[in-house]
Amino acid sequence: MSEGTNAIGPIWLASIRDLQWRWRRFLLAALATGLVFGLALMMSGVANSFSVEVHDTVSALGARWWLVPTGSPGPFTVAAAFPASTAAVVRRVPGVVTAEPILVSRALTSGAVGSSPASGVPVSSEKDVNVIGVVPGGLGSPQVVEGQPLRGPESAVVDASLGVEVGDQIALNDIRFKVVGLVRGVTYFAGVPVVFVTLGAADRFTANGEPLATAVLLRGTPTRPIAGFTALTDAQVRSDLGRPTTQAAKTIQLIELLLWLVAAGIVGAIIYLSALERRGDFAVLKAVGTPSSHLFFGLLVQAVLVALGAALIGYLVEIPMARGSQMAVRLAASDYLAVPVVAVIVGIVASILPARRAARVDPALAFGGGR
Amino acid sequence: MSLLEVDDLTVEYSSGGYRVTPLKGFNLQMDKRELGVLLGASGCGKSTLLSTIAGLLRPRSGSIRVKGSDVVGLKNQELTRYRQTSVGVVFQAFNLIPSLNARENVELICRTAGQSRTEARRRAEYLLEVVGLEDRMGHRPGMMSGGQQQRVAIARALALDPPVILADEPTAHLDYIQVEGVLKTLRQLADADRTVLIATHDERLLPLADRIIELSPRVGSHDSIAEHQHLDDGEILFEQGDPGSLVYMVDSGLIQLIRRRDDGSDEIISEASSGAYFGELAPMFGLPRSATARAVGPAVVTGLPLRDFRAQMSTSGPNP
Repeated sequence: MSEGTNAIGPIWLASIRDLQWRWRRFLLAALATGLVFGLALMMSGVANSFSVEVHDTVSALGARWWLVPTGSPGPFTVAAAFPASTAAVVRRVPGVVTAEPILVSRALTSGAVGSSPASGVPVSSEKDVNVIGVVPGGLGSPQVVEGQPLRGPESAVVDASLGVEVGDQIALNDIRFKVVGLVRGVTYFAGVPVVFVTLGAADRFTANGEPLATAVLLRGTPTRPIAGFTALTDAQVRSDLGRPTTQAAKTIQLIELLLWLVAAGIVGAIIYLSALERRGDFAVLKAVGTPSSHLFFGLLVQAVLVALGAALIGYLVEIPMARGSQMAVRLAASDYLAVPVVAVIVGIVASILPARRAARVDPALAFGGGR
Repeated sequence: MSLLEVDDLTVEYSSGGYRVTPLKGFNLQMDKRELGVLLGASGCGKSTLLSTIAGLLRPRSGSIRVKGSDVVGLKNQELTRYRQTSVGVVFQAFNLIPSLNARENVELICRTAGQSRTEARRRAEYLLEVVGLEDRMGHRPGMMSGGQQQRVAIARALALDPPVILADEPTAHLDYIQVEGVLKTLRQLADADRTVLIATHDERLLPLADRIIELSPRVGSHDSIAEHQHLDDGEILFEQGDPGSLVYMVDSGLIQLIRRRDDGSDEIISEASSGAYFGELAPMFGLPRSATARAVGPAVVTGLPLRDFRAQMSTSGPNP
């Protein structure tokens, strides 16, 4: 009979019973690890949100091409302004179906800007926002999820993450606007909400009222180059828009990796402690003919079960964590599915050292009256 | 052919950086239905012998055969199989797995050897009934008395029906009421075509024994007599691990006491010159010699039985 014969049964029996026997300790380990898993999951969501928001924001404007002054890397990161009337010239280029100017800038909300939908408490009086001036009803005009589309120079359509409601007043650089509609998921630069205003209104507080634009959105494909301008695809614009947060995303991903390692460390420490305490048991089991491989896999099974339990706890704690986060947390189904896979890997990595120790216990220790 | 044959067995292991030889040239033959009791002082090699027969320690030399099959040469998987099916071990401190109940402690061994869950459970229940614990099957070790735990340990040792049962101080942690049940069970094991070998200090076990094996001479043995020995330069008087019944006085010359290190090198731990004595611990405590005695140049020593040595000490005083 080979050493591995019917290995699963006794491994399960001994491992499950030991988990039950020391359940308080394993529960604590699972809770601590679950907290770390939850945090890692949230970090993953934050890192994801950087790319998701870039994708959603660029898509929200609905352009086929983005026309920017030659030399400008993109419409969001470097504001190279030009006369808004350029759009009219571009419309006449063969192949162009629609061309509308937009003006991208940043602003600071000042004074009370409304109330939190959840609590009714006034939203922070100073908050950075991204401002996009568009032609109401034209290309780039946002699709609202609540309220009305942008209509006049006093109106604004705001991303819901700013925490205002339809009907609220907001002040951008001391110029007041009325929130007529809300959009969702239109943010960039790590969750900074976008406020859509009319192109004219955007000109008022960003360019002293000069009719300027920073990009022209196109539908259709121009058949010839437009002098002094470069046409960028959505992919190029996304690449440009995502660049400022690349480092932050990498740092968050590194933290996420470190959190997985911390989780492995917690599980490993608990399993190692358990292996030390069970040294006498392992010696006895070896002395009565239990193969070393059974002891090795027994601890591995324990570590994986603790890690999977922690993954479950991680799911539960991630929800309130994400809700309380100041930054957007975007998790896809694949992120949730990855957690148990990572948990199994964490369990395996965490158990290697204690499992090897258990497998190497000298069975002669069973003699002599000590445990 | 005996069921258990141990021939010229020498076991060495490392302890505290020195090489220890608790068994040297040990021989034993036991037949089925025989219960042997190993007697000897702590440290004289009782547990070492059981560990070696159980396949947990490899001897330096000699052979062990169970039912005629060699044990010493077994490799990993064969050794695991041997431990499962050929020897059952009952440990001093019971050594049950605390998280498993009585039935599971026995069942685990059966399942490890490849039995189905049902088969293993049936076997465990049968054995626990045999040792009189049918009403304690679902109890964890912590909920049982020492005697009950030891009987579970005996059931575990019988799980795969091995022909040889080894018990290391099986009554050490039991009171006199608990001992009775355990002794009765151990005797019954031997009567069922098995060989049972028990290492113990407990002389209550002696009436059960078919054979008593003393691993060390009785303390204060009166069998030996005083003897003078002339040694040449480099001649060995006794070696580390030898049994010893005499204490030596140096009449003339120099004797070095040498202990073998782990790495095989020798360390001179002391020297005895004219008028000094050495080698008193082995006869006093029934232990093997803990060092080798070697003459440096021609020397004359007198070996004294412990009784004579004590008499001499009372008149002359301790070592200079």
